[in-house]
Amino acid sequence: MRNKWLLVMMIPAFLFVILFLYFPLAKGVVMAFQNYNMFDLTNLHFIGLDNFKAIITDPYTNFWQILWNTLIWLVFSLVFQFLLGFTLALLLKKPFAGRGIYSGLVFYTWALSGFAIGLIWSWLFNGQFGLFNDILIRLSLIETPLGFLSTPKLAMMSVIITNIWYGVPFFGIMLLAALQSVPNELYEASTLDGCGAVKQLFYVTIPYIKPTIVSTILLRTMWIVNYPDIIYAMTNGGPVNSTNILATQMINEVFKQYDYGQGSAFGVVIMVILFIYSVIYLKLTKSSEDSI
Amino acid sequence: MINRNKKIAMSIVRTVLLALFLIAALLPLYWIFVTSIKAGNEIYTFPLKYWPEKPSFDSYRELFSFSNFGLYFRNSLLISLSAAFGAMIVSILAGFALSRLSHRRLKGAIELGMYFTQTIPTFIIMVPIFTIFSFFHLINSRIALGFVYVATVVAFCTVMGKSFFDRIPASLEEAAKIDGCNLMQALTKVILPITLPGMAAIFCFAFINIWNELFIAVTVLSSSDKMTVPVALNSFISKTGISWGVMGAGIVVALLPTMVVFGIGQKYIVAGLTDGGVKG
Repeated sequence: MRNKWLLVMMIPAFLFVILFLYFPLAKGVVMAFQNYNMFDLTNLHFIGLDNFKAIITDPYTNFWQILWNTLIWLVFSLVFQFLLGFTLALLLKKPFAGRGIYSGLVFYTWALSGFAIGLIWSWLFNGQFGLFNDILIRLSLIETPLGFLSTPKLAMMSVIITNIWYGVPFFGIMLLAALQSVPNELYEASTLDGCGAVKQLFYVTIPYIKPTIVSTILLRTMWIVNYPDIIYAMTNGGPVNSTNILATQMINEVFKQYDYGQGSAFGVVIMVILFIYSVIYLKLTKSSEDSI
Repeated sequence: MINRNKKIAMSIVRTVLLALFLIAALLPLYWIFVTSIKAGNEIYTFPLKYWPEKPSFDSYRELFSFSNFGLYFRNSLLISLSAAFGAMIVSILAGFALSRLSHRRLKGAIELGMYFTQTIPTFIIMVPIFTIFSFFHLINSRIALGFVYVATVVAFCTVMGKSFFDRIPASLEEAAKIDGCNLMQALTKVILPITLPGMAAIFCFAFINIWNELFIAVTVLSSSDKMTVPVALNSFISKTGISWGVMGAGIVVALLPTMVVFGIGQKYIVAGLTDGGVKG
C-alpha cells in the first residue's frame, strides 16, 4: 500500500525521463538504420547497415583517423585530469588557513560550460594575439607567433590541454571527499608499522578510495568521449581533421550535412564502444579487487 | 634535525604546488576579463598589455545595445530558473520515494534506469527531439525546451535527492504519522525542512547544467529573439566583425550566474555530487 503511493510520487520523474530521454534515444537508434536526410525527407525508408558502411568508408572524413583521434583525446585528457586532480586533492587534504576559499577558487571551473571554456582557450591559443604566444615571445622561446589551432600537429595538443584544465576540478572534488573518508586509525597503524608517506599512499590511501577512483574514471571517460563542446568551440575538428573525434563528426553530420541517419549512426557507434568499454573496465577492476 | 628540514621542504613544495594550481585555475578567467575591458585596438597591439591602459566598458555597452544580449540573458535566466525549480520539485518527490521504497528489486531497477541516462550522449537524442518538436509545432517554444531540460537533469537530481533522504531516519515520518499526518504531509512538514541544504544542492546543480546547455537549444530555437546566452555566443562565432572584446564581454556575462550559484552553493553541491554521483 505504502509502496504504491511511493510509486505514484515517482510518476512525474518517470514521465520526464521516458518521454524526453528514453523515447528519443529509441528513435535515434532507429534513425541510424534509416535514410533520413533533411534534404530528402520524402524518401524516408530503412536501409539496413548502409549508414554505418557510409561513415566507415567516407573518403573525406577518414573514419579510422577519427577513431584514433578519439583515443588520443581520451587517453591524454583522462590520465592528466586524473593525476592532477588527485594531486590537488592530496594537497587539500590537510586543513590550512583559507582552505575553503582556496578550494572554491580552484574548483569553480566545474560549474562553467565546456563551450565557454573552449572559447576562452581558443583566445589564449590565438595564433596572432593570444596570451601564450605573447608569453613565449617575451621569454624569447619563439620569434614569430605559433598557430596553435591552425597547425595540425599543435591543434590536438592545444584542445587536450584545455580539456585537462576543465576536468581537474571534477577529480579534485570527488577524490578529496573520498580522501577525507579514510579513517585516521589506518594511517596511525601504518606509521607504527614503519610505513613512509609514499608507501602509505599506495598501500593505505589508494586501496581504500579505490571504489571512488573506479567510478570517477568511468564517468569521466563517458563525458570525455561524449561531449564535443570544447573541440567544437576551438577547432571544430580541424585543421584537416586533426582534432576531429566521433562526437564532433556527429555534430557536423547533423549541423552541416543534415544527414540525420549518418549522424545517428555515429551516435550508435559511440554508445556501443562505451558499452563494451564499460563492461570490460568493470570486469577488470572487479577481478583485481578479488585478487587483493 | 633531518626530519625537521624535511618537513620544511615538504611544506614549501606544497605551497608552491598550491600556488601553481591557483594561478592555472584563475589565469584564463583573468585574461578574458582583461580582454573585455580593453579599449579599441589595444586587444590587437603587440606586445600585449597585461592590464589595460585605460579600462573601458565599451565592449559591454556594445554587447547589450548592439547585440541585444540583455534579451538573451533574460531568456536564459527565465528558462534556467523555472526548469531548475521544476526539476527540484520532481526529483525531490522521486528521490524521497526511491529512498523509502521497500521493494528491493524494484528499487534497484529504478536506480539503474536513472544511472543509465548519464551515459546517453546528448546528440543522439538531439535530432529525435528536433523531429518531435517540429511534429508538434513546438520549434522556438521556450516552455517545451524547459521541459526537455528538466528531463536532462532529473535523473541525476533524483539520485542526489535519494542519498540525502537516506540519511534521514524513517522513524521521523512514523512519528508524524502517529500525529495524524499522511505521507505527503510528513514529507512537506517534517522531512523537507531538514533537507533544505539538499534541496539547495539539487537546485544549484540543475541550474548550472541547464544554464550551460548549448546543443539542444541550438537545435530547437531558431528565431533570434528566443535565443539563450550560449546560443547567442555560438552565433557570434560565425558573425564576422565581432571583436574579441565583445566576445570576451559576452563570455564574462555568460559565466557570472554559474559562478555566483557555485559560490553560494559550493558546500552543498560538493556534498551532493560526492554522495549522489559516485556511490554505486
